[in-house]
Amino acid sequence: MYQYSDKDKQIVKNRTREFLSQVKRRIDGNLTEEEFKPLRLMNGLYLQLHAYMLRVAIPYGELSHIQLNKLAEISEKYDKGYGHFTTRQNIQFNWPKLEDVPKILNELADVEMHAIQTSGNCIRNISCDHLAGINNEEVEDPRPWCEIIRKWSTFHPEFSYLPRKFKIAVIASEKDRAAMKVHDIGLKLIKKRNETGFEVYVGGGQGRSPFIAKKINNFVKKRDLLNYLEAILSIYNEMGRRDNIYKARIKILINELGEEKLKSLIESKFKKFADKNLLLEEDEIKKIKNYFKLPINNPIKSSIPVKKNKEYNIWLNQNVIKHKLAGYSIIMVSLKHYNQPPGDATAEQMKKLSIIAKQYSHGEIRVTHEQNLVLPHIKNSDLFSVWNKLSALKLATPNIGLITDTICCPGMDYCALATARSIPISQKISQHFKDQSIQDKIGNIKIKISGCINACGHHHVGNIGILGLDRNGEESYQISLGGSADEKTSIGKIVGPSFSEKELIKAIQTIIETFEKNKKNNEDFLSVFNRVGIDPFKKDLYDKSNP
Amino acid sequence: MAKKLKGDSFFLSANDLKTGSVVYYNGDDWSEKVDKAKKINRSEIEEYENIAKKFEDECIIISPLFVELNDDGTIKKLRDIIRKNGTTF
Repeated sequence: MYQYSDKDKQIVKNRTREFLSQVKRRIDGNLTEEEFKPLRLMNGLYLQLHAYMLRVAIPYGELSHIQLNKLAEISEKYDKGYGHFTTRQNIQFNWPKLEDVPKILNELADVEMHAIQTSGNCIRNISCDHLAGINNEEVEDPRPWCEIIRKWSTFHPEFSYLPRKFKIAVIASEKDRAAMKVHDIGLKLIKKRNETGFEVYVGGGQGRSPFIAKKINNFVKKRDLLNYLEAILSIYNEMGRRDNIYKARIKILINELGEEKLKSLIESKFKKFADKNLLLEEDEIKKIKNYFKLPINNPIKSSIPVKKNKEYNIWLNQNVIKHKLAGYSIIMVSLKHYNQPPGDATAEQMKKLSIIAKQYSHGEIRVTHEQNLVLPHIKNSDLFSVWNKLSALKLATPNIGLITDTICCPGMDYCALATARSIPISQKISQHFKDQSIQDKIGNIKIKISGCINACGHHHVGNIGILGLDRNGEESYQISLGGSADEKTSIGKIVGPSFSEKELIKAIQTIIETFEKNKKNNEDFLSVFNRVGIDPFKKDLYDKSNP
Repeated sequence: MAKKLKGDSFFLSANDLKTGSVVYYNGDDWSEKVDKAKKINRSEIEEYENIAKKFEDECIIISPLFVELNDDGTIKKLRDIIRKNGTTF
């Protein structure tokens, strides 16, 4: 894992001191809310429906057991005993008091964490494949590149007041587990003629105008990466719209200018930057890469315990993935237990998981964009013991990738922008499809729920996407089908008129039945949808003559 | 603050600056107790907007808003009911 340098530590501590002074000035009346709001947002502090909300960055989704334990302590000491892991690998605390926030930031700084750039119109937390460095498919580990970008983008003087927020994701394999193509910039490490570099995608995003990112460069050399990113951001900073918040993202710029025009502007800017300040030297890259060496070096002989325990075997099959080193496994820790809001973890769960990570996973935990956690390096022989411990914490629900593994934003239960609730919808879906045999029969499917058009619950890229709306004061849910956030990214199609909260589960059930009657062999939901199209689903949902 | 208001009666609500908690104006001060909230008529909106502004300027509250009420005095909108009662799950 990356370790802060003395300079990093100083920067974060300084920022904490600065924010303490800003909070004092606000409470004493020396700053108005209008003056204070941009300052608090730069430190990840929002005002939600019932309280403030603090968003803490988990760079590229990687946590040490010490950091996870600290998050648990913070949730107990300053919040209501839980935290919410988000789709961009952050954690949110929903109930901090304003006067406590500097103390929280101070405690975070002690474990090399912060909330800088988790909000505001700047470059946000860099997200990454949660299986980075531990799977066999990747060209190389993308995490060092996330760290290089993080260093470059943190407090970047030119990019602290962009037209709008800016999100970057990095992956390194054909499989996209980071929703890379719905980011403002998506970077994919590839190998071309024995050289590794980046495919660059620009202009992806969700919200009210969803777009899939367009590939604007087939190969950017590693040494040029920061100059190329600087070129993209400079063009966006100059040309992105500032007159209309809904048209301010780079996705709108690329669609207004056209792909070729934007590409040529970026290329000309890049030529001016190339071979200048931000050129990455090999030894610099190597230095960062050294932080991300696997804590385990060699394959070992370690076999998975064989037990006549049905629950353990279901879990092994659903939540455990092969590690790139023989003898080790990766555990997907489900935060989708049937009675818990998706992505929430209690202080007790976090504390005990940090102990498990220390004892069994070389102290590492990862956060996935699908709001689950990962124990990345588990000896095969330890799997049964770890399963027992996770089960006791309700962290071994065997539903990774299944219908109850929903992505869900906080919705109207917390969010000041939401037009409908999303967590209770997710819980109803979980309860309705709880039976393991039903889930297994349905197979891989992604349901994603947003409580408003801002799409924090990624409904546009759900195989089944659910968007909560307000129709004359009543909650109403629009369904889209066929979206995907993986390597074949697609935006879902709206199936028809929306459903009331009461009608929604029946509608989801109908969609599943339509899928099942059209399914051939082992096809999953998305394959069936892509083959048969939306019409059979529409017919079954809306045709009144259909019994 | 009062731009899109419908209905005839309201509570004045806000978040407490220091804690973020949901508070209601009771005629003198702000309290988390909704049962003590003062019922405000449409004709009084402007007066209470000024009162809210005063408390904002004094750094007591932020984000003031009017909560629409039904004829029987109960809160009308789900968002405001959630603000009053807490999360629904």
